Amino acid sequence: MNRPDPGMTTTTPHVRPGPGVPVVEMRGINKWYGAFHALRDIDLQVAPGERVLICGPSGSGKSTLVRVVNLLEPFQQGRLQVCGVEIGAEAITRAARLAVNRRVGMVFQQFNLFPHMTVLQNLMVGPVWGAGVSRHEARQRALRYLERVGLMDQIDKHPAQLSGGQQQRVAIARTLCTQPQVVLFDEPTASLDPEMVNEVLQTMESLASEGMTMLIVTHEMGFARRVADRAIFMDQGQIIEIAPPDDFFDRPQSPRLQTFLGQLHA
Amino acid sequence: MTRFVRRTPIEPRHAPVDATAALVRWRRIWFASPAMGTLSLLLTAAFIVCAWRFFQWAIVHAHWRGSSSDACPGDAGACWAFIVARWKPWLVGDYPSDQLWRAWACFATFALLWIWVVRRPPAASVQRVLLGFILLPIAFFLLLVGGGPLPAVAPARWGGLLLTLVVSLATFATALPIGLGLALGRRSRRPVLRGLCAAFVEAMRSVPLLAVLFIAATLLPMFLPNGSNVGLFARALVAFALFNAAMAAEVFRGGLQAVGRGQLEAATTVGLSDFAALRLIVLPQAVTAVVPALVNIMIAVIKETTLLSVIGVNDLLGAVENGAKSPGWVGEPNILTSGHVFLALVYLAVCSALSRYSRRLEARR
Repeated sequence: MNRPDPGMTTTTPHVRPGPGVPVVEMRGINKWYGAFHALRDIDLQVAPGERVLICGPSGSGKSTLVRVVNLLEPFQQGRLQVCGVEIGAEAITRAARLAVNRRVGMVFQQFNLFPHMTVLQNLMVGPVWGAGVSRHEARQRALRYLERVGLMDQIDKHPAQLSGGQQQRVAIARTLCTQPQVVLFDEPTASLDPEMVNEVLQTMESLASEGMTMLIVTHEMGFARRVADRAIFMDQGQIIEIAPPDDFFDRPQSPRLQTFLGQLHA
Repeated sequence: MTRFVRRTPIEPRHAPVDATAALVRWRRIWFASPAMGTLSLLLTAAFIVCAWRFFQWAIVHAHWRGSSSDACPGDAGACWAFIVARWKPWLVGDYPSDQLWRAWACFATFALLWIWVVRRPPAASVQRVLLGFILLPIAFFLLLVGGGPLPAVAPARWGGLLLTLVVSLATFATALPIGLGLALGRRSRRPVLRGLCAAFVEAMRSVPLLAVLFIAATLLPMFLPNGSNVGLFARALVAFALFNAAMAAEVFRGGLQAVGRGQLEAATTVGLSDFAALRLIVLPQAVTAVVPALVNIMIAVIKETTLLSVIGVNDLLGAVENGAKSPGWVGEPNILTSGHVFLALVYLAVCSALSRYSRRLEARR
């Protein structure tokens, strides 16, 4: 088994880096899919407790960017620092991926709940088999987070028995159960029916109000304006503009962001 | 545009009842058109003629009692006396008479397992069934071989239905894990392992089972070191296991592909290692998805066991054929025909039961 060294697997995940030390730090990250240059010279720092919005047209590399943060996608150039784990492009090993993923949570567009498990089992499997938490402790955690997302009555159901919004809330609770230092959201409401979008956004908003560090790819601009500390606009694999939400939405500087926002409001 | 606002909601109503008369419906099924009607009549007539002839042969003119071919003169009726009198060879082969309880125990245990499998609540995990099918043949093997307080009985003395049962179960128990290993090997990141697994599976899939059996029976002893006495039975088992492992590998490969990439990614992001993700997330879904296909493999294995008689292992087919050559029963061709018909009925009963079970598993999902 490729366990990382013992210091990395301690079950005290809320040890945060000191003030000023970024939770996520990308330095000159480049990624190619074959010949296609998907991420170009990405430099980005995310401070503890910061909420960063990432938006851009489809194919602009925003999903790829967050998937690089937890090493679901490898990159070919640059350096990455996530929650104190340093990874160079040349050293993306299984052990590094495991170490990063035990500190980073992720919420997917397609929920990706485990269909053969009940809601409770979905929440417990990570802590028990990944972090080595006792079943009792994992169960307590699961109940706590289920309570928070308001799904205590669905505990023994299977994902297929839940609505899309409920599934996504379970997915959020599942990632919280691993007690991440930063949570990545990859278009969490994009595959939901309109009437279910709000319940998920509210869950995310309450998470933000508790100081969770979040990287959010979304097209929900109203939500982004309320929650984000910084907004990033990407196009063609590059970061085009970074600004506080008010400036970002009301006084966009780059012409491409102006066009993009114009299309959203049309 | 005129405006429409509904003020009174529409209550749900019952679906209309199909009022077509039974006779009309019957006519639609059997006589949809003149051509179809003719075809229906012809097929029905053919079926009645065949069924009547078979009934005459198998029941009316059949011979039920007797201990030699004298009991079955002519070929107007089936010679069931042959089957009745030689019950022991086709049930258990040459198994010692004073140790027969061991064979009966195997049959009874299997019957109990099968009843449990069929009656088990639909929600129960299907993986326990698979586990049962893997553990049972090991227990059977140990019980039948004996040793310790039980007198040893060489596999060469096993035969008939008992042998067919043991070979089928043992094949299932060995081919499934090996097949799973091969399927995982084909997904490995290591090119050498991946290539070897793929080559093995493709080779086995391109060769008839009979050829594999002949190789195991005749060619293999030449490669083994002198004096290593690997019995024909064991070699046949290995051939069966490897051949069907290749079949199972393809089934498992399909099951593994059916589990989406997102599942593995989600497993990674909740902190599971690759091995834990495979064991807890991917395999349970992959295996559940292919259980009907695995049952189909089992049906194929049961039918393939008849090939064992070709290399001289005394399976159900071999027992019946040898019986027709034994001193008391030689001569009448009708006797061997009766034996073959009886075999067909046995295989039909076993395999159709399995295939019905497989269809039920599919419907359950």
